[in-house]
Amino acid sequence: MENLLAARAQMALSLGFHIIFASIGMAMPFLMAISHYKWLRSGKQVFFDISRAWSRGVAIFFATGAVSGTALSFELGLLWPKFMQHAGPIIGMPFSWEGTAFFVEAIALGLFLYGRKRLPRWIHWGVGVVVGISGVLSGIFVVCANAWMNNPAGFDWVNGQAVNIDPMRAMFNPGWRTEALHMILAAFEATGFAVAGIHAFLLIRSRGSVFHREAFKIAMLVGAIAALLQPLSGDRLAKGTAQHQPLKLAAMESHFETSTYAPIIVGGIPDKKTERVRFGIPIPGLLSFLAKDDFSAEVKGLDAFPKDEWPPLVPVHIAFQIMVGCGTALAGLSLLFLFFLFRNPSRLAHKRFLMLAVLATPLGFLALEAGWTVTEVGRQPWIIYGIMKTADAVTPMPGLQYPFFMFAVIYVFLFGVVSWLMLRHINAVAQDYPSSANEDVHA
Amino acid sequence: MLDLVTNQPITLWIVIGFLAVSLLLYCLLGGADFGAGVLEIFLRKRQRVEQHKIIEKAMGPVWEANHMWLILMVVILFMGFPEVYSLISIHLHLPLTAMLIGIIARGCSFTFRHYDAKKGRSQKSYAVFFIFSSVWTPLCLGIVMGSLIPGGIHPVYATYREGFIDSWFRPFPLALGLFTVCLFTFLAAVFLIGESPAGEIRTSFTRRARVASIVTVLAGGVVFFAAQLDDIILIPRFLHSAIATACMILATISLPFFWMGLRKEWIWTVRSLAGIQVVLILSAWLWIQFPVLVHLPGGDLTLFNSHAPDRTLFQLAAALLVGSAFILPSLFYLFQVFKLDEED
Repeated sequence: MENLLAARAQMALSLGFHIIFASIGMAMPFLMAISHYKWLRSGKQVFFDISRAWSRGVAIFFATGAVSGTALSFELGLLWPKFMQHAGPIIGMPFSWEGTAFFVEAIALGLFLYGRKRLPRWIHWGVGVVVGISGVLSGIFVVCANAWMNNPAGFDWVNGQAVNIDPMRAMFNPGWRTEALHMILAAFEATGFAVAGIHAFLLIRSRGSVFHREAFKIAMLVGAIAALLQPLSGDRLAKGTAQHQPLKLAAMESHFETSTYAPIIVGGIPDKKTERVRFGIPIPGLLSFLAKDDFSAEVKGLDAFPKDEWPPLVPVHIAFQIMVGCGTALAGLSLLFLFFLFRNPSRLAHKRFLMLAVLATPLGFLALEAGWTVTEVGRQPWIIYGIMKTADAVTPMPGLQYPFFMFAVIYVFLFGVVSWLMLRHINAVAQDYPSSANEDVHA
Repeated sequence: MLDLVTNQPITLWIVIGFLAVSLLLYCLLGGADFGAGVLEIFLRKRQRVEQHKIIEKAMGPVWEANHMWLILMVVILFMGFPEVYSLISIHLHLPLTAMLIGIIARGCSFTFRHYDAKKGRSQKSYAVFFIFSSVWTPLCLGIVMGSLIPGGIHPVYATYREGFIDSWFRPFPLALGLFTVCLFTFLAAVFLIGESPAGEIRTSFTRRARVASIVTVLAGGVVFFAAQLDDIILIPRFLHSAIATACMILATISLPFFWMGLRKEWIWTVRSLAGIQVVLILSAWLWIQFPVLVHLPGGDLTLFNSHAPDRTLFQLAAALLVGSAFILPSLFYLFQVFKLDEED
């Protein structure tokens, strides 16, 4: 295995692993806070139980997210020392803010998880909200750094050195707003539907359980709101990409020739040699509209760029299709959910609807991983777009395949253990709250 | 030298201050958490369950926060001293990766053990991972620290061994790793005395604290011996600096008082003394190292010649100051809720 490839594989693996836990860390505190709030306001025990059951699961995800995040802060240097040497002084800013937010989050989490009996009720609730807010903030800061890699700003590149560094301008680069919004929504969408799916499954198993019904509703509502806002944020992001990274957009859409009335190609496999997409269904004009708000606008194709700067076309195009496909499915499910919720609540407990929710369990996370694949693979061969190639940033230490294999084993093992722990946790919850027979809720 | 020190901008000093304080606090607070894991090796069957509970209760709410000091150090290094971060990352890749694996294993196994919905046979496996990684991680941390001394890193290298192994696989870094494990165990034992109820269990932690203090002193001797083996002129360097010598002398003469406090079970006296001793030892080391961050054959990387541009330093210092306005009060609240409450 080539050194560069091994380093990229290890980075992709570590990020792909961490992002799951980080997303849950952002969204779950808010889910818990909603349930907790309902308990504090209504006094209904079931909401307290939901928040408590969730928090025990969350503790596991949090710890895994914290340590895999620590690993990443080192891996950036271990794998890409040349990148960090130049980028550190420029984008250290969001990282230092992220460190602060993460610190506050860890403190608040300790208080929240262990302070149930020690803290006054509302303070305990407030601490839970702080966990969520600092989680979201640290997510935004990290995405700022990533957005800078896509839209480098805040420095001048002179003879291979960064001069006139302005960390503030680097942090608030042209891409940060759209990218951060897209990521935060994705975290809420993925987590909301995953949690809802689990409770839908348990609801099918033990019909009429108030515990699972209420938990399902809270999670579904959060996921649905995010899923319906997400296409709007995606549209903004696509326009930004068209402006700042036209090559990435062309790769995402497999748009080979610069043209007006540019089509969006649904599905299909791009072929770099023939510069054609096989099996795809083109929808004329839609890409022009997506990129420039005008069906007739000219959109730059891959042919506008030297071939050796093209990112790998197949993974980027397919990942983009997966992301959009999952997102569309979830948005459809969200509309259905909201329709039932306001028009016909009894339908929410209908078995077929619950089955749909169960099927949707992994879609949010699938979309999230696919989205990161689009943005990261789509930027290749650059690590800092237009400034530094990934190949020039990799550590000179030979034999990187061994750390990669080791991390692969560790993360696969950890993933297995966490899944197994979740199954045990879910089973325990299912046993604790089997049915509604003697629950004191009249909702 | 004095000129060099006085001519630096205040922002650099703020950044250096945070770097030093983060290192100290990580060793004190994070160190005690690591040491608690090491101590689990020595738990006797009869008291295991109760001592386990004490360790969980002491670590549970705070370990993630204590761990953040390490992240802060990393962030300060790569934003404030990017060349140092890059150089360390390249040449100490192996021990750093080993340390990461320890960090991952320890955090996960500790949390999994506590939050597993069923307390069954799996508890034993978590304990094995937890104990092993509690020894492994500080060992690697000490090795990394020990590699920053003269003759450690070779930025120009001919072979893989010279570039990536010789820098850390030598007597001195290994001895420092061993010393770090002992020191952290010592801290944990002293800390846990106050966390346990008076009686048999407290006495057992007191005994462990005494043993750990003696072992740590011996390990300190091993460090000096290993330095000799490695041709590092450690003792003259200490003697050359009045402050470093004073720190070491103070740490030594406080030992008998510490032992007396142990016998009387004066909790806050032994805690403070143990904390002060660790601070003194680290300060002595930082002092003889100052202002060098990494010793290199072709010219050392120092705090003054490898820092980021002024604007970056200014914004980093500002971020650290504003950040601590959020962190310190909440950290104080955390410790107040879980640690100080016991007193009343």
